[in-house]
Amino acid sequence: MNKKNIVTYSILCVALFIGGMAAHDFLQMHEEDVFKPSATLTKTGRLGDYWQGLKGTSNDSKIFYFDSGKPGATVLLLGGTHPNEPAGFITATVILENVRITKGKAIILPQACESGFTCTDPFEGNPRYFHIKTKSGNRKFRFGSRVANPLDQWPDPLVYTHYPSGSKYSGFESRNLNRSYPGRPDGSFIEQTAYAIMQLIKTGKVDVAFDLHEAAPEIPIINAIVYHEKGEMIALNAVLSLEMEELRYKPELSPKNFRGLSHREWGDNTDVIPFLMETSNPIQGRLRGKTDEELILKGISPRYKEALESGALNIEYLPSGEPLKRRVGRHLAGFKAILEAYNEEYPEKQALLENLPDYSDLMEKGVGAFLN
Amino acid sequence: MMYWIYILIISFLTLVLFIEFFKEEKWINQVALAMVLITFVLRILQIK
Amino acid sequence: MNRELIILLGMLATFAVSIFKLKVPAGISLMLAAVVGALIGGEGLPLRHLVEGGFGFLEAILIIATAMIFMKVMEATGALASINAGILKTFYRWPTLLLMVIVVFVMFPGMLTGLSSTCILTTGALVAPVLLAMGMPKLAVGSFIAMAAIFGEVAPPISIPVMIIGGGVDMPYIGFAKPLFLVSFPAAIFTAVFYRYRYIKSFDIEQVLSRLDTTVYHKFGIKLFLPLVFVVIYLVGEISFHDYFPHLGVPLIFMIGALLGIFSGEKFNFLNVSRQALRNAMPVMAILVGVGMFLQILTLTGVRGYLAVKALYLPNEIKYLAALLMPFMGSAYASASVIGVPLVYVFLGKNVLIVTAVLVVMASLGDLMPPPSLLCAYAAQIVKEKNHFKILRKSAVPIAVTMLFGLLILVFSEEIAAVIF
Repeated sequence: MNKKNIVTYSILCVALFIGGMAAHDFLQMHEEDVFKPSATLTKTGRLGDYWQGLKGTSNDSKIFYFDSGKPGATVLLLGGTHPNEPAGFITATVILENVRITKGKAIILPQACESGFTCTDPFEGNPRYFHIKTKSGNRKFRFGSRVANPLDQWPDPLVYTHYPSGSKYSGFESRNLNRSYPGRPDGSFIEQTAYAIMQLIKTGKVDVAFDLHEAAPEIPIINAIVYHEKGEMIALNAVLSLEMEELRYKPELSPKNFRGLSHREWGDNTDVIPFLMETSNPIQGRLRGKTDEELILKGISPRYKEALESGALNIEYLPSGEPLKRRVGRHLAGFKAILEAYNEEYPEKQALLENLPDYSDLMEKGVGAFLN
Repeated sequence: MMYWIYILIISFLTLVLFIEFFKEEKWINQVALAMVLITFVLRILQIK
Repeated sequence: MNRELIILLGMLATFAVSIFKLKVPAGISLMLAAVVGALIGGEGLPLRHLVEGGFGFLEAILIIATAMIFMKVMEATGALASINAGILKTFYRWPTLLLMVIVVFVMFPGMLTGLSSTCILTTGALVAPVLLAMGMPKLAVGSFIAMAAIFGEVAPPISIPVMIIGGGVDMPYIGFAKPLFLVSFPAAIFTAVFYRYRYIKSFDIEQVLSRLDTTVYHKFGIKLFLPLVFVVIYLVGEISFHDYFPHLGVPLIFMIGALLGIFSGEKFNFLNVSRQALRNAMPVMAILVGVGMFLQILTLTGVRGYLAVKALYLPNEIKYLAALLMPFMGSAYASASVIGVPLVYVFLGKNVLIVTAVLVVMASLGDLMPPPSLLCAYAAQIVKEKNHFKILRKSAVPIAVTMLFGLLILVFSEEIAAVIF
């Protein structure tokens, strides 16, 4: 072998090594997260049960059913629509691992877009996992991408045209579940996912539905409850009762021309009353500093503190940080308050979900105390 | 369908880049080629 | 000194030493800078992050690779030479008009794809020989097509940087046509007129035409342009009439165009032409992988946030200067995402569509700037100039004028909004 060949094959070997090491990390993200549901779990299912096109795909997402056996409302809860918004996913997990249902039914998808949990977004420098200490040991959860894995839907169009409204978004958003409702059975992978969720709402006769999100601290709609006009009274009553607990939530009416989002399309296309909640998540923000697991868990970002102090932006960020326990606590408090307001509005058709921790429980004991 | 057409396109580009990689005289240019090839190969192998 | 500042300086110093002193290609220099940034930031050698960053511009890399193959095929069939002659024959009597037509012609692919590099690789490469034949110096030609590419990236109907900012602030891509037209076309026309009077003296059309090959057109006729017609019609169709044109995507459109080329003109070896094309495209493809790694490490180590927050700290009176800093991020997409998104909030109270359009034109100028100097590197390749920084230097006047236009539009955004909406 001459010198030239030695150099060529050496470069090839180094490239193989680098590619191989990275491939190992990428492939690891396909290992599923573990859930330990409460004893009142009735059955489990998959999203593919509602649209066969999803069977066996990475969006054949897990569904947990809790049925009290007593008539009442059916509640749907989605976490993980955006897998880089961990408070939504962890809140759904806390609920499904603790809930005791005494009236009505609950259907929980902790990872609505499982595909997005199998990768992270380029340029974001995000960690792949975060760990929460629980009574059964250290539990590992994936931190994923805002949208579906390109291995499930590729290439992105230059411009994504929402079906059926014709609204236009950047091509990247074509893989965003929360820009794809109501979806269609013969559409893209993510449109099929949206379609399956719509089918679940329709065939499951869901009465009230929640989609849990997070957003960067500089996004205007944050620490908010977004409601469809059908649920205005419920949302406003919930916000009022949360104020009593000294928890401030901005009520936001779902804009009519912002199409493809759960709070708009679920409400327009089915009988369900939808709500979407947002908390302030520094790891999603563009002003954040060092990006690591600690930022997910503790939510402390000196850069956001600095930006807050500059007064240049309207930022929702507490100087002490936005820890996961606070974000999950807010989602839980919001969820419970809306459900209570719903039960008051529809006393003949209630859903009673018990044994869920309060905001103060979360702040005092942390998230891990409420995971099995 | 479209996904696999794009995998085909990327496979063709990878083939051409591999030919260039082995024909390239300067090692520094081979490194640049390798940077692009890692990306293409990981996509073809359905890893990233 | 601040931790993030040390990392940033370490990365910039590595890049500078690598590219200027060691003469390492820009793509690899960016990768080295990313590695050094990660090491200083205490991240070790984060292979997963580096490779993941390299994926950030995969779509753009595919467009560049396939566009380059398409253009090389057009060259091999003889279509390019025929078009050059055609443009010149039609417009040579009115050089100012000729330059205006050419600037819009070069912008065209960018208007459709939102990618500045496609302008240089397709229409830019097409007109460069015409401009050279008209006596424009090669640096001026490179600068002219690079500037036109910037305007193409910004101009409607498709502007990817707007979509990037829109994604960051949850703003749909609606209502941008007029503001984008406003920030791109007047500056483009100024550039055309400026280059006409600065660089084009009188030229002998017969002599110029004699240097261009027109025999191929007579041999193959209109069939010669079939691939180009297909590509243009499909690009326009897919974007503007998507109900009638099934989505193929830009790389596939270029590949189909390239395959059609096999039957449209002079015979050629497809594999050899593709090899030649990718050899030419290689530096830019590597730069895009390198920029991706660089951006990933900037975010991972917190330098991105540091830069964005520092931009916010600018006193009220010089907020506008923050917008003027946008080009110096060295990449339109990076600048739109890193500075563009927070700046939209800084300018809250002004018309958000116009503010975004101005921020996008500022960000897009970043494609000319170092470290990657993406467009200058490409333009340099097309006009066969080794030092692409000379192209950047040559572009100083149109860059300054474009920024000035942008600034004025930003200052008077409310008044302008009242007129155009």
